[in-house]
Amino acid sequence: MVEVDESLVGKEFLKLAFEHCIKCGTCKMGYKSFKPSCPSGEKFLFESYWASGRIRTAIGILLEELQWSEELKNSIFACTTCGACMDSCQAPHAHYIVDIIESLRELAVQNIGPGPNQENLVERTNNPEMWNPYGVPNSTNAELKEKYNLPDKAEWVYYIGCTSNYRQTKIRDATIRLLKRAGINFTLIDEHCCTSPMLRTGQISSARDFMNYNIEKIKEVGADKLVTSCAGCYRTFIKDFEKHGANFDFEVYHTVELLKDLLDSGKMKIKSKYNKTITYHDPCHLGRHMGIYEIPREIYKQIPGVKLVEMKRNRNFAWCCGAGGGVKIGYPEWALEVSNERLAHAREVGAEVISSVCPFCRTNLSDANENYNGGFEILDLLEILDTLDIEFK
Amino acid sequence: MYPYSYDATEAKAHMPDFIVIPQERAQLIDLVKFCNQYIIPIVPYISGNNIGGLCIPERGGIIVDFGKKMNKILHVNEETMYAVLEPGVTFGQLKQYLDENYPNLRYSYPFAPPSAGVVGNVLLSGMNSMSAKIGSMADSINGLEVITADGEIVRIGSCFYGDGESDLDSWYCRYPMPDLMGLFVNWQGMTGLVTKCAVQLWQNLPYQKHSAALVFGMREVAKVLREIGKSEVVDDATMFCIESIKMMFEDYKTKKFPGEPDFAVLMPISAKTEKMLEAKEEILENTLKKLNEEGIKVIGIDLGEFSQLFSLRTRCAIDLPSVVLPIYVSSGLTWFGSYAPAHKLEELIEKTDEIYHKHNFSPMIYGKTMKSGHYAVFRLMANYNKYEEQEEVKELMNEIAEVCIDAGCIPYKTPIWLTEKLRRKINPGWLNLFEKVKKMMDPNNIFNPGRWNFNY
Repeated sequence: MVEVDESLVGKEFLKLAFEHCIKCGTCKMGYKSFKPSCPSGEKFLFESYWASGRIRTAIGILLEELQWSEELKNSIFACTTCGACMDSCQAPHAHYIVDIIESLRELAVQNIGPGPNQENLVERTNNPEMWNPYGVPNSTNAELKEKYNLPDKAEWVYYIGCTSNYRQTKIRDATIRLLKRAGINFTLIDEHCCTSPMLRTGQISSARDFMNYNIEKIKEVGADKLVTSCAGCYRTFIKDFEKHGANFDFEVYHTVELLKDLLDSGKMKIKSKYNKTITYHDPCHLGRHMGIYEIPREIYKQIPGVKLVEMKRNRNFAWCCGAGGGVKIGYPEWALEVSNERLAHAREVGAEVISSVCPFCRTNLSDANENYNGGFEILDLLEILDTLDIEFK
Repeated sequence: MYPYSYDATEAKAHMPDFIVIPQERAQLIDLVKFCNQYIIPIVPYISGNNIGGLCIPERGGIIVDFGKKMNKILHVNEETMYAVLEPGVTFGQLKQYLDENYPNLRYSYPFAPPSAGVVGNVLLSGMNSMSAKIGSMADSINGLEVITADGEIVRIGSCFYGDGESDLDSWYCRYPMPDLMGLFVNWQGMTGLVTKCAVQLWQNLPYQKHSAALVFGMREVAKVLREIGKSEVVDDATMFCIESIKMMFEDYKTKKFPGEPDFAVLMPISAKTEKMLEAKEEILENTLKKLNEEGIKVIGIDLGEFSQLFSLRTRCAIDLPSVVLPIYVSSGLTWFGSYAPAHKLEELIEKTDEIYHKHNFSPMIYGKTMKSGHYAVFRLMANYNKYEEQEEVKELMNEIAEVCIDAGCIPYKTPIWLTEKLRRKINPGWLNLFEKVKKMMDPNNIFNPGRWNFNY
């Protein structure tokens, strides 16, 4: 058996690359839908840009049949890690394909450096003035706590996430207002990046420190539950912290899970109407990565007046928004192209509003909407709810 | 380029020098002329999962990847039931297109992933899910358009009239001219570059059912398969040994336990009316009853119900095109696939089963009755760890090949190690003619050189 550097976090996944893939190509099209599944393969076409090609690249490197070179960078990093290949593949390693790709990235970063521009994500995040990938001064969230009169100790922490805190602040504010109105006993912490941008781009050297820091901050406020409005943070806390040995004992929820509980228990009732045709875009990190498809839909359906229409590609077959896996910063034009395809899907079904529950999807869909004059309203579910009359008991 | 250098089999990897992704025929004409002038190898590629090392560029050169852009379904003639395809069209793509646009028509699918190429399959005499009726997929080709070594375009079949573009409604049959199709079918891309292919479609009959027969006895399954073929009521009949069926649910190192059936025979049946379906089922039941009366223990089951009751994973063999799970569990997959004398299956099954056990591989014995029982397909497959069991699997396949060829089996999609063996067994007249044709068609040996051990 080939030797894999035991110090690599992804060593077990790299070993798995040798176990099952025969390059059958099933990853290339949606299982039984027979529609293209992979934004990267469809764009760049060569075999090395599909999941099986990336697995083979990992094998080639470890067998030393392939030498590290800058030329490998695009095939390794031009992938949104959307996981559509995992959904399509039927082989025993299917569930771990993105892990294999991320492990290959971990190895690549050590040998040829990160993908294009992706070093900026980590340089900014590691900067003690920032602690976030957007390169803006860190917000301790003290002002927000004061503004919303949030306690120092609480049962819940609302983990805002960098995109909502520094870019899509309407999602942050709408979430805080809703949690307040719902009477949830929550607070904010001086949060640092959840590490998703580091992990997705293979730049993991400081990830564990960030994880431990955030766990410690959550413990400090005495919370035993965390809620986040970001699909990426949600996936990272639940799936990646453990992988990196950062264990915690609080529960993690996405906002939609909490909202669903409130609606089902009768503690929340939406009174006013939202008379628009909405289509829901499944974020990859919430859908394919975490298996949450129906909960958001059930919430939209409880909004009076909403006509919820499904794009042809929905749930596990959903087309990626194009932003993830470091693609937004590494390949910005292609990221918009991918998103533009999603706009076309929404147009097909006559949607006025494209709504999602991930601030990063919202960002990229909005950018594409603006860039290509899409003519849609792009809104997070929380932004929509924020405009409505809601009764809480 | 590295992912183009290998496939699932034990064939030695070899890097191409370039990958070309063509969009249209005119580009390929220029490419062929250029390569013929400078003697640069051209290797056709669709998805590369032929399990024969057929797309590995033995002598480097250019891989022409048809799968990415030359993958259009150019035409479907509903009346005479055929489709004209570019080489890169996949089974999944064709299935989806027919379901959406021509739900009254169907194609016939092999146990191959949906990403596999339709044209590659027919040109290499692949299998399908109607083999008991129609035989080899090569028989279902209506016409071809090919670029020959000098860059000339040749159209073969009923589309052969005229000097311009063909009328897409003219690709309705293959005969009765001298069958020049034989210059390209089964040649593994060694005589020209196919740019269009018309394949027959069939009526998508409204009543469809999947039955299975569980057979007790290694030798006995041979007769069961033959009799089912001759009953002429099933679309297809495929036998799988029990160890290979278990690979749907377990690792690829499976075992047979005492009391278990030795084989299962899968049989899709289709009909125009309910009565027709009932009549076919009755004939099939009577066939199995007669076999039981002759002392062969065989139990018929409804595979659709079985899958619902026990495991939906078995549906991979029903809902085609689909990945057939037993052959996608390890990092390596290889086979000896052959057209076989159906009357020698007893001997073949027994001997090859012994060889699997001798080499400590779980048997993957698979066979089909072809065209109402005129002949059989006999395939011996092996899942293996590509990075640890390469030598062991080579020995296994070598011994299997010896036994099968001695019994008269004719391998298809032949890898190079096997064509070398075949050359020692085929009559010299055939080989001489074969070599003359190859040299006439490809004087500079640019088309997939190295295949069939041509050295000139």
